[in-house]
Amino acid sequence: MSTKSLVAELTPASKNKKKITPIQVLIYVFLILISITYIFPLLWVFNVSFKTNKEIFTAPFALPKDVTFDNYSFAWTAGRLGVATLNSFIVCVAALVLSMIIGSMAAFGIARMRWKGAKLAMTYFLTGMMIPVHCVLIPLFTRFANLNLSNTLTGIILPYLTFSLPITIFIMTGFFKGLPNELIECACMEGANIFQIFFKICLPLGRTGLFVTGLMTFIGNWNELLVAMVFISDESKKTLPVALSKFVGPHATNYSQMFAAIVIAIIPTIVVYCAFSNKIVDGLTAGAVKG
Amino acid sequence: MDKLLRNKKALAVFMLPAFILFTLVLFIPIVQSVYYSFCDYKGFTAPVFIGIDNYKALLSDKTFGIALKNSIFFLIFSCVSQLIVGLFFAALLTNIKVGRNAFKNIIYLPCVLSSAALGLMWMFIFSPKLGINQLLEKWGVEEPPLWLMDTKGHIILPMWIIAFVALWQYVGQSMMLYMAQISGISKSLMEASYIDGCTKAKTFRYITLPLIKPMIATAMSLNAIGSLKFFDLIYNMTKGGPNHSTEVLATHLYEQGFKYFKYGYASAIGVVLLVLCLIVTLFINKVVKTEQYEM
Repeated sequence: MSTKSLVAELTPASKNKKKITPIQVLIYVFLILISITYIFPLLWVFNVSFKTNKEIFTAPFALPKDVTFDNYSFAWTAGRLGVATLNSFIVCVAALVLSMIIGSMAAFGIARMRWKGAKLAMTYFLTGMMIPVHCVLIPLFTRFANLNLSNTLTGIILPYLTFSLPITIFIMTGFFKGLPNELIECACMEGANIFQIFFKICLPLGRTGLFVTGLMTFIGNWNELLVAMVFISDESKKTLPVALSKFVGPHATNYSQMFAAIVIAIIPTIVVYCAFSNKIVDGLTAGAVKG
Repeated sequence: MDKLLRNKKALAVFMLPAFILFTLVLFIPIVQSVYYSFCDYKGFTAPVFIGIDNYKALLSDKTFGIALKNSIFFLIFSCVSQLIVGLFFAALLTNIKVGRNAFKNIIYLPCVLSSAALGLMWMFIFSPKLGINQLLEKWGVEEPPLWLMDTKGHIILPMWIIAFVALWQYVGQSMMLYMAQISGISKSLMEASYIDGCTKAKTFRYITLPLIKPMIATAMSLNAIGSLKFFDLIYNMTKGGPNHSTEVLATHLYEQGFKYFKYGYASAIGVVLLVLCLIVTLFINKVVKTEQYEM
């Protein structure tokens, strides 16, 4: 808002245009307080991550006296967060791309192909949303050990991919169902085959949906801890959330490095969130509203 | 065109990858897991069928009792608190115009952040010697609370702290869902109720609330499953301690299965978790009846 309009708002002349009731003031005060509880801890983590460990014990809430980047360089190299970030990135991108392709193919089959089992198939995939990953950990773990998949990135890409499928299929089915019939008819007349219809027409039109589901699954997998912790024990294969817990030792914890590690872990999602917050909201509501 | 869309071969190409993956990575393991829960299976030996012994052992396992109690506490707390606070935030935010998006985005922000990382942060803030207590000490509080190390009471303080942290982190999701639903209600309905002399509170009670009921069911089942699955925050804040008092089903399963390699026993915990998830989802969808109104 420019200063001019702000002044206009505050002058009595505009008062009859819009009254600010005491209740509204109360709401704003309350919301600002709430926002502080959200922003402050994050800013504080950022602040402590520049301190030395000693300073954390003496004055944890003050601003750092001498800003040091040592924590970051330590966490990144010796703490192996650099490797972990790369691993996380590889795993998430692979799971993302595969789940988009496989999921939207299945969604197309359910939404557009004419066969009797479409509803049943949908139910089959949707029950996946209700099943907690904990229940399949042990069988998967033993199976992957036999297949030499434990301690490999493939070993966590597979479960990530599978658990991303239900939401992808759900949202994309909604999208494909919404496409007009004429479009496909038209393509048919022009002699396109079914794969051309899917890859050249439906998929490009569904890219908003794909983008939204992609964001959701990427963030979900980026933050996933349990599967990664169970399947990976090799230091060089660990993903970010797993690598984080290494900073907390049973006897001594170097807190300043831990905070630097926390910042490294949450910065990527904060950036993604700031860039696409509205899309993420779309994805959330699209995933929740049952069609 | 009909022929094209009924093409069985093409259908197979579309459906099979997802279907195979789903069956291999999800459904067969679930069945296996149920089978293992009836087996004596400890890591390196082959599973031996022993009937319901694992479940009997669960009943006499003290830690399992604590874990179950904590999980159910967590489930009820998060369903109720997320409903009330989420709805409250949504109602406030739909009542303001300036800055609505900013507040919405701020409150939703922690939902996309790693609970593992935030768990470490809260672990520091609520540890007995650091964080908040350093402040309290400075202000001259004689005996500051032990926070995450406290073990007194029926539902101990650390569980409350974790529950509130979880509320803090995930309430944005419920709020967002309710807001989406509320903004879908047509303005004319609201205006009609104002003309009929309703106050804002009454409009909320008699117009908004019934209309967002379907969303309440959805958001609540999301919360319920989420809270039963809960692992990251607890693992990084307390690791189930002190003395197993903040253990939940997920952490107990992890410990039994992947620290002590009692696969059979851990599978039994997994089955309990799965059954709880299914029951709760069905229950919520039955209780919160979804009447469809024209919006």
